[in-house]
Amino acid sequence: MKKLWLLLLLLLLIVADVFLGSVRLPAAEVWSALLSGESSDFVSKIIWNFRVPKMVTALLAGMALSVCGVQMQTLFRNPLADPYVLGISSGAGLGVAFFVMGTSALGTYTPFPWLSDLGTAAFAWIGALAVMLLIVAASKRLKSNMTLLVLGIMIGSAGSALIGLIQYFSDAPALKSYVLWTMGSLGNVTGNRLLIMSGLCLTGLLISVFNIKDLNVLLMGEQYARSLGIKLSWVRNKIFVATTLLAGSVTAFCGPIGFIGIAVPHISRMIFNNANHRIMIPASALTGSCMMILADIISQLPGSQSVLPVNTVAALMGIPVIIYVIFKNRAVEL
Amino acid sequence: MTTTLEIHDLSIGYSKRAPLFKQINARLNGQKVTGLLGPNGIGKSTLLKTLAGLMPPLKGSIQPAVTGKTDNLCAFVPSQPPRAAHFSVRDTVSTGRYRYTNWLGIEDQEGKHMVSEAMELTGISHLADRNSAGLSDGEFQRVAIARALIQDTPLILLDEPTAFLDIANKRAMGLLLRKLAAEENKGILFSTHDLSLAMEHCDLFWIMTPDGVLHQGTPAEMEQNGTLKRLL
Repeated sequence: MKKLWLLLLLLLLIVADVFLGSVRLPAAEVWSALLSGESSDFVSKIIWNFRVPKMVTALLAGMALSVCGVQMQTLFRNPLADPYVLGISSGAGLGVAFFVMGTSALGTYTPFPWLSDLGTAAFAWIGALAVMLLIVAASKRLKSNMTLLVLGIMIGSAGSALIGLIQYFSDAPALKSYVLWTMGSLGNVTGNRLLIMSGLCLTGLLISVFNIKDLNVLLMGEQYARSLGIKLSWVRNKIFVATTLLAGSVTAFCGPIGFIGIAVPHISRMIFNNANHRIMIPASALTGSCMMILADIISQLPGSQSVLPVNTVAALMGIPVIIYVIFKNRAVEL
Repeated sequence: MTTTLEIHDLSIGYSKRAPLFKQINARLNGQKVTGLLGPNGIGKSTLLKTLAGLMPPLKGSIQPAVTGKTDNLCAFVPSQPPRAAHFSVRDTVSTGRYRYTNWLGIEDQEGKHMVSEAMELTGISHLADRNSAGLSDGEFQRVAIARALIQDTPLILLDEPTAFLDIANKRAMGLLLRKLAAEENKGILFSTHDLSLAMEHCDLFWIMTPDGVLHQGTPAEMEQNGTLKRLL
């Protein structure tokens, strides 16, 4: 019942996201562009090349980050865990920093300037993957998930330190484009890039569904999981692969989008009052895509000419929600 | 048919250079309630975890003997099992059937029936839809036992199952453990510091003494030969 209600809300937001934007378009024209294709080139271009891909990106990013957040919170039995807790965002950030600022910091030229958009995504993804491989390698030796959490935080800090170093030596334009990447954007993912991102995210979501059974047991502690004959390192690796596919891909194409991954699991727990992952995974996917699309609508400032960075909007919109959840409910308890 | 665990020359602990307890030779009997007694820090929990396969033995062997299965032998119940908030008691118990449920962890008809039976037997049926984080220690200890029961192992090991319980719940726990041994053919091994409870409900004692010996025998034998006195 609640899921149906959320699904309706999502449909409403999807429609609103396509109809509203910084360029004001008459609703009738948007309709005809969507349904019959009989509209001016200008309107149809805005709708099909910009708004629809952006809406799909927001939908995917919201799902991916939230489903990833649930898994991290369960694995570490920690309500503060988010998709980036293992250092994936600093891994991705480091990749992008190398790509965007490395050339200016090292005093050479960008070898493939025509590749720069896809190059950013590729380097971000490679950075995230490198961090994940490091964690998987360490995971075999580390028995406790808590030790792993500390390792993740250390890797994150090391990444940030290296990024700082590159920033220090890079020139102003390169620095600016890096900072813009960190603010997040849903608007740069179209065509082939959207196809790649969808493929990666859907694979990650599929793996997450196959993680449900193990996640439920992990919520009751590592010792219990092992006493049931579960191989912890195998389960952890499955979760890490899902995390990299989900959070790594979103970060690669949209930049590090904070808040959604940590907040949405708590909001879903509050709405559904059931921590069973058979409920939590689909519920978080739904709630997350609603939040992300809402953030996108707000960031367009419908009716005005300017656009806000989506990261800022997500945080400003969501932090009050989280504070409300904390005070009103004890939903943060895991 | 009962499964018995033969323990031969077992050393337990965290470091090979300094084992906690050495040369344990014992036999754990199915269908019997065995009480594990000994002073704090002597290695009762470590022994239970080693037998349950949660820690590797430093030396020696733990072999199933007489009959029965070779894997999935022991279920383990820690003294304060972590609880998952917003997780119903029924779903919590059901996770015990991890090996038997489908890829999504969903029970078939038979599984659902087994979950209900285990809850009935442990006296938690009326709590089935409650949030497991909201239960009392005594109630959740029963949930953990139901979860262990359903793992379908011949042996259940419990680490101080009565440590956080009041007098009435302690007694009820003792009766429950005996019922599991008698009616469900489970071999029970539990550690405790409550001597009177152990005297009342155990068929056998394992007593770990500071001189590094594990004594086995019935409560009456242990009282006669003076081993019990050494705990005081």
